[in-house]
Amino acid sequence: MKTLFLGGLAARVAPRILGKMTEKLDTSVLAELTDMQRLMPALAEAEIVVGHIWRSDFPEAPRLKLLQAATAGVDMIDLPSLPRGITLCNVFGHEPAIAEYVLMTMLALTHRLVDTMTAFRGGSWAAHQPAGGSAHGEMLGKTIGIIGYGRIGREVAKRAVSFGCKVIAANRSPVADKGDASEIYPLAELDRMLPQCDVLLIAAGLGPETRGLIDARRLALMKPTALLINIGRAAIVDEEALYRALSGHQIGGAALDVWWQHWSPEYPDRRPSQFPFHELSNVLMTPHCSGFTEGTADRRWGDLAANLDRFVRGEDLNNVVMIT
Amino acid sequence: MKALFLGNVAADTANGIKAELSPELQVDIIADPKELSPETAASADILVTNIWRADYPVAPRVRLVQSVATGIEWIEQGALPRGVPICNAYGHETAIAEYVLMVMLVWSHRFREIESDFRLQSSWRPSWVHSGAPHGEIRGSTLGIIGLGRVGQEVARRAAAFGCHVLAANRSPREAGDGVERIYPLTALDEMLPLCDTVAICTAFGPETERLIDARRLGLMKRSALLVNIARGAIIDEDALYAALRDGTIGGAAIDVWWQYPNAAEPERRPSKHPFHELPNVIMTPHCSGWTAGMVRRRWDEVADNINRFVRGEPLINIVTTS
Repeated sequence: MKTLFLGGLAARVAPRILGKMTEKLDTSVLAELTDMQRLMPALAEAEIVVGHIWRSDFPEAPRLKLLQAATAGVDMIDLPSLPRGITLCNVFGHEPAIAEYVLMTMLALTHRLVDTMTAFRGGSWAAHQPAGGSAHGEMLGKTIGIIGYGRIGREVAKRAVSFGCKVIAANRSPVADKGDASEIYPLAELDRMLPQCDVLLIAAGLGPETRGLIDARRLALMKPTALLINIGRAAIVDEEALYRALSGHQIGGAALDVWWQHWSPEYPDRRPSQFPFHELSNVLMTPHCSGFTEGTADRRWGDLAANLDRFVRGEDLNNVVMIT
Repeated sequence: MKALFLGNVAADTANGIKAELSPELQVDIIADPKELSPETAASADILVTNIWRADYPVAPRVRLVQSVATGIEWIEQGALPRGVPICNAYGHETAIAEYVLMVMLVWSHRFREIESDFRLQSSWRPSWVHSGAPHGEIRGSTLGIIGLGRVGQEVARRAAAFGCHVLAANRSPREAGDGVERIYPLTALDEMLPLCDTVAICTAFGPETERLIDARRLGLMKRSALLVNIARGAIIDEDALYAALRDGTIGGAAIDVWWQYPNAAEPERRPSKHPFHELPNVIMTPHCSGWTAGMVRRRWDEVADNINRFVRGEPLINIVTTS
């Protein structure tokens, strides 16, 4: 079966995925999406495409049946320009790693780890009680509000309750199984949830209901001590409003793994925002890597390989996002 | 009945718990032990403190010593009447358990390097779309806890929720369970050490634990292992740990408790005779893992509860020993 691994990410992980498959594929690899001379013939014959990007200017793909995203988010796939009748699947496997990141950053911000560690390395005992240091915070008894109660949100909740936290969530669609959360709000009632949260976690996908969801008005509904953690998508949060809320101490702090501006080959050291978040001491920042662990790679490429095997054998597929 | 709150920490405690104490109790507060008069000492039925020395005025009426700390090593038991129960106080165990999980996560996710490279140099290397090496996670890793007391049990419960395999070594025998898969006697510690991705020292300091972790035992650990110490510095051989971290015998360490502490003459005294602060594989904090506002409140509540129990003639909690 003619399979095209398309884009830099798919091209890089193709050997690892193929190594986990039992069925045989007739594969080609094309890392460079703007190489139209090679893209046109490759898409003309591909029955399966593995990749996470589909642009509106792509040439026709008349034989395509399966678009297997190599990511969980499909927001870089231009859905209207996909051929009709194809199946779009995504992959997961990152949820335990991201849940660990969420707990790690809420602990680090609450315990003031980075400041304490940096000062102590420099010789200062300022955080030591007998030296007159002020007490830091703890997670016990805190309320964590999760926007988007999906796989990641549930994994976070499971860990957070072991710390004695209360977990509440807001979700677009009704949730049948609350898991470890004590209350689920419809997303339309988010404003009732926000004032309760000591930590607000954004774990939702990007879509019309979530784009710009956290704006200046909603940030003002949060506690002045609240922490905001974003591992979903940057565009869910209003960039300027968040910068102003953090620099003006309207909220307590933030841990950000997803950004409004990204690295590119021409601009490898590009700052992740037009605002200087890197100058704020109440921000922890990472380059969209919270889920990028060895464990995620094992789970994810194993699941992706198994889905391709299923497709070749004509079996039901996992993680179907939609049929166009 | 009269309670004497002696020393700075006890004076703070008295002010924090006054409203909770039984109304029939009289309270003396002496923040500076040098100002303790023989009359005040002689009239105390309950002594609330973290320090008692042989050169203090005698306190012959004392029937309860309530420590305001967990460790009672500064209370000279020979200087007290015989047969007096000495109780301690906790409340720090959840905060310290949070610290242990936090440093395990920070270590395996390579958080310090990734965060500071991104902040200072805008380095996107660890990102998905780049070709950087993935970092680790604690799910599926093995944690060995030395000392399954209050702190150790809180650590175990949280680590189990992360999908860690939890082992423990304890002086007295215990049943596995509550997140712990297997418990070794402390004498079989050498069997546990080679299995652990993280070793967390959560035991009290005493003759069996002084220099428990020496060069030989560090050599039994995995070369990638993280050693976490939130208990007492002297449980680890200082020279051996420095050498093991410098030479890569183990992967790294997260250290909150030290071999040297600051004093008035040397407020920025380094915490060890070795330059741990120059090693990149050390997460170091100044003995503050349990120092949270919540801990202070919980500890005060335990002290108040025990004093009220004594006044009402009810059984005491947290009895460590009897003088």
